[in-house]
Formats: sequence, C-alpha cells, structure tokens
Amino acid sequence: MSDALQKKTFVITRFDPDQDDAPRKQSYEIPVRSDWKVLDALNFIKDEVDATLSHRWSCRMAVCGSCGMMVNGEPRLTCKEPLDQYGSTVAIAPLANFPVVRDLVVEAEAFMEKLTHVKPWIIRAKERAVEEGPLRQSPAELEEFKQFSMCINCMLCYAACPVVANEPEFLGPAAIALGHRYNLDSRDEGAAERNELFRGEGTVFSCSFANECSEVCPKHVDPAAAVNQAKFNAAIDWATRLVLPRGGDE
Amino acid sequence: MSRDANPHAMAPSKPGRTRTAPPQLPDRFPFGGRYLAYTLFDLTGILYVLLGLMVLCATWALGSGAASWSSLLERHRSVVYIAFHAVALIGVIFVGVRFFGFFPKAQPPRVGPLKPPPGPVILAALYAVWIGVAALLCGVLAGGILR
Repeated sequence: MSDALQKKTFVITRFDPDQDDAPRKQSYEIPVRSDWKVLDALNFIKDEVDATLSHRWSCRMAVCGSCGMMVNGEPRLTCKEPLDQYGSTVAIAPLANFPVVRDLVVEAEAFMEKLTHVKPWIIRAKERAVEEGPLRQSPAELEEFKQFSMCINCMLCYAACPVVANEPEFLGPAAIALGHRYNLDSRDEGAAERNELFRGEGTVFSCSFANECSEVCPKHVDPAAAVNQAKFNAAIDWATRLVLPRGGDE
Repeated sequence: MSRDANPHAMAPSKPGRTRTAPPQLPDRFPFGGRYLAYTLFDLTGILYVLLGLMVLCATWALGSGAASWSSLLERHRSVVYIAFHAVALIGVIFVGVRFFGFFPKAQPPRVGPLKPPPGPVILAALYAVWIGVAALLCGVLAGGILR
C-alpha cells in the first residue's frame, strides 16, 4: 500500500440554514493518501481546512450507517468507499430525497417515524411467561429472515428510490423490509397486523420495483426482494381471509 | 444539476425547529445510469396503450365487414405500422426479460408449508411458458393451428 500523496478536488454541497437561501457548491483541493476512504477526506477537510463543514459519521466500519451521502451522484457509505476509485474530482452531496439540515446532514426524523409504523418488534397473541423459557428457533427458521435483519438503517435505499422522491407517504424500502423481516420470524404472531398495514396506501403496492434500493444497499439486504415478497404475502393473506374469514378455526 | 424532489419527501410529521433545504432528486434520475432501464420499463406502458387501441380498431374493423378488414390489413403494411410493431416487440422482450429477472426474488421463502422452487427453476419455467405461448400464437396467426 502506497503512502504517496496526490491532490484531489472535492466539490461539496454546502447549506447553512442561517445564511443560505439554497444549497451551494464549495470546492476543496486537498492532498489524499491512496488508502483513504471518502470519509477520511471529509474528516481531513473538517479538521485541517474548514471546521464549519458538517457531516455525520461514527464507526468508520460500515456498521453504524451514519455516513451515507451522495458520492458522484450515487448513494454511498463514505466510510466504505475507497477514494482511489474516483477521479481527480469527487462530488459529495447530502442524501437525495431528504430535506437537508446543514451541509451533508439530512433530516432523518421521517425515516425513524416510518420504521416504527411497521411495528418492528415481536408481537405475540399471548405473552409468554418467563417460566416457559425462551422462544426457540431453528437455524433454518433464522435463515428465512436473517438477510433482511442485516439492515443498518443507513437510508441509502431511500436516497435511491424514485417512489420515495415522489410519494411522501411511501413507507420506503428499509421500513417495509424491516416489517417483512418480522413477518418471516417464526417467533412472531403479528403478520396479520402488518399485512393489513401493507395493504394500505403508500406501502408495498406503491413500489414499482425499480430495484435501486437493492443496487445501493451496502449490506446486501436486498430490500426490493423484501418489498415484493411482502406484496405477495399481503395479497395471499387478503385472499385467505376472504375465503376463510375466521381463519379456518371453526 | 439536481432537481427538486416532492417538497414533502421524507419530511417529518412535525416540522423541526431548523429550516431545511428541500429534498433533491438523485442526479441521474430519470434517464442516467441504472434509472434509464427503469424509466424505459415504465415508458413501455405507452406502447401497451397504443397496442390496445390498435386491437380495438382491428376488432371494430372485423365487425364492420370484409372491406373494412381488408382496408385495415392494407394500412398495416405501411412502414409506420411495421416500425411500430418492431418497437413494440423490442419493448415486450425488454419488459419480459427485466420482469423475469426480478420475479424469482419476489417469491416469499414459503407460503404456509410450501416453499417455492429455486430461482433458476422459476426463471426457466417463465421462459418456457413465454416461448411456448409465443410459438402457439405464431402457429395460430400463421394458420397452422385452429384453421
């Protein structure tokens, strides 16, 4: 690995709510090392060039999901993106489809609200007493939803989704994938509630299967698969209720 | 240059205290990068509307007598109609290939006790049915079947 320094220009979208009417571009030319990630360059600018630059980051190992930004027009986790794969100019902007609080920091409140909509917890028809022991799950049962539980809530899928851009009420890929993850969990008994929600406005049937969410997902969760599997399940659940309104119990 | 997304996209239910800049669409939407395939996929809807209208016209001509039907067939020999059908064929193949490519992963891991077959099997079955139905229709239209 070479420590040689080269210069790169970073065109960063800036926005100060106290001073700017609209976001503007600002360029920084800095020396970068070949082993840097995009986030390292942002931190260098913040530490050495312009302390007023605002951006979110935390773990630096693609786990916390804080540092998602648009890098050359693509939603990316900046801590995971090797800088040497970009040319001499790198454009960095806040995540698309989100209101911008300041510089590269977006308003994430709506995302949090959407996550809670899908009841992302294990729902039991009757709570299990502690004496009954834990709910057991086989590796095969775990495998059914494990992929969808790997989401780190980085919001890149929302920045890529054309439906999120045009339908504010759309729950979005990560929230639906989270709901679907619980619907597939063998310990959960809340699928009927979530399927009811999924049959409503602005949920799974708003998805037009652009597949962009899956293309940009840094953890290979494949939210597009989750959303479209949830469509299938919501439709089957509806048909089953139509034919067996009491669930076939009597 | 970015364009504005819906101004309410990803807006919280209660506005925050800080003024925010409006959300922007991804730079490449709708015709750049991977968005192009998605946009073209959706635009093929226009072809289906036009094809639907043509089927209605053909049905009308069929019900209006032999002369009307012959006149319609004559019109369909024009370069414009042939070009349109060529574009429609490309559109249908494009939509089929894209839809079939996504279809296997849209299957839930199980429906009750039933599990779907592996993705490649689903894909092979979809193409087999598509080719079979297309061959059957070609046979009917060529007069070889149901004469």
